[in-house]
Amino acid sequence: MITIEAVSKRFVGPKGEPVDALTPVDLTIPAGQFLSIVGPSGCGKSTLLRIIAGLETPSDGKLTIAATGVARPIGFVFQEPVLLPWLSTLANIRFPLDTGGAPRDRADATAHRLIKMVGLQGFEDALPHQLSGGMRQRAAIARALSYDPPILLMDEPFGALDLLTRDRMNDELLQIWRETKKTIVFVTHSVEEAAYLSDRVVVMSARPGRVRAIHDVDLPHPRGEATKLDPRFHQFMATFRRELK
Amino acid sequence: MSEAAAVPSAPRRVPPIVDHLAGIVAIVVAWQVYVTATDAPAYMLPAPGAVGSALADLAISGALWRDLGFTFGNVVLGLALGAFAGFALGFVLAKSPTLERWLDGPILLLQTAPKIALAPLFVIWFGFGTTSKIVLIVSLVLFPVLVATIVGLRGVPQNALELARILKLTTWQRLMRVELPLALPEIFIGLRIGAVQAVVGAILGEWMSGKLGLGHLMTFASATYKTPLLFAAVLLTVALGIAVHVSLEAAERRLLRWKQ
Repeated sequence: MITIEAVSKRFVGPKGEPVDALTPVDLTIPAGQFLSIVGPSGCGKSTLLRIIAGLETPSDGKLTIAATGVARPIGFVFQEPVLLPWLSTLANIRFPLDTGGAPRDRADATAHRLIKMVGLQGFEDALPHQLSGGMRQRAAIARALSYDPPILLMDEPFGALDLLTRDRMNDELLQIWRETKKTIVFVTHSVEEAAYLSDRVVVMSARPGRVRAIHDVDLPHPRGEATKLDPRFHQFMATFRRELK
Repeated sequence: MSEAAAVPSAPRRVPPIVDHLAGIVAIVVAWQVYVTATDAPAYMLPAPGAVGSALADLAISGALWRDLGFTFGNVVLGLALGAFAGFALGFVLAKSPTLERWLDGPILLLQTAPKIALAPLFVIWFGFGTTSKIVLIVSLVLFPVLVATIVGLRGVPQNALELARILKLTTWQRLMRVELPLALPEIFIGLRIGAVQAVVGAILGEWMSGKLGLGHLMTFASATYKTPLLFAAVLLTVALGIAVHVSLEAAERRLLRWKQ
């Protein structure tokens, strides 16, 4: 469970004036929920995600992550894959296990299981530059899952991919979520992606960055092609789009 | 299936080494022709054959291996120590902006000061032996590696450092498994400059003092007008420089294989 209480972020602008990147946000994300944050650029959605990740400190407010007894509670998937270019796909995926002191054979077994899960069989020994953009991002997701963090934070992970690949990745992500029961916080600027993937959607708006609305997306699971034909799916999209204006 | 056959084969090329050798042979031939045509005295410009026999004499007497080995050993040791010191200092400076501000002035001063001018001082401080020579080489290698290390570490992408933070890597793990490999291409640029400087420093140190090394061989040959021997010593220096360059390049190719 992630509890965000009156968390805000203020930067100092180029002329020394304070800039509100994020006005106070209150949000509780229950364990196992798939929550998306959708908004235009500059709305503070990435800032909020990075605060949850501990990559940025909030200017004010309180963040609590209830994940007791886990050394590394957070998996983070960046906009770019951020693979280490000298390591093979397999070595990249097991990198967190190797640096975390996991026994070799267990790390091996986990990495091979994840390779299968994200569909990279046959590319275990390939270097990142030999993979396509979608494959690299899948390897990055597998790496984030390797140490089994209860929380997975994703910052526009599929933003750089073509639409077809993106659709496929969305389905794979939903399947991973079903299989692993992780709490996922997913940042995107696509209302379709947000509506398709999430249990709950936070719509944010810019200048100053703030939460505009929060919606429960009660479309049935498992989602797939039928979801995209559901009129309520389109209603959600239309609502989000309206709120983004 | 037989795709390779469909591709029109590129015009057959000889390996580059053949071209290099052809160029060298041409120069040697021109050299011999010039010496024969102008009847140049041996103390001014010895014939290639005379230089060859000077080299052979050196090899037979054992002086070649002794002097070459001495110089080579100094180059390797000085390069290794200088590279390590440059990297360590570069790492500290890249990580500590305060320290960098403080040391920026002194370092700029030392970096721009011609280390060659300090060479006599090193002899006074560290004596005529190996130490002063190593110190000179280290002082020449240190700065290019230091600067390259700072540039390389500064160039490590922000998100790679954030990944290290998310994965809760220790400082040592982050350095060795993320930052150092990412900075390595830059560091190698510094090392290559440093390697050239190391050979210069080694020879120079031997010119000034001591009774060993290729630099000493040169001053001896020049003082006694043994010009073929001087040529032989110069050739050995060139060979040494090439050997250092080639091994560094091989190490770089191996370590940076992932750069394609």
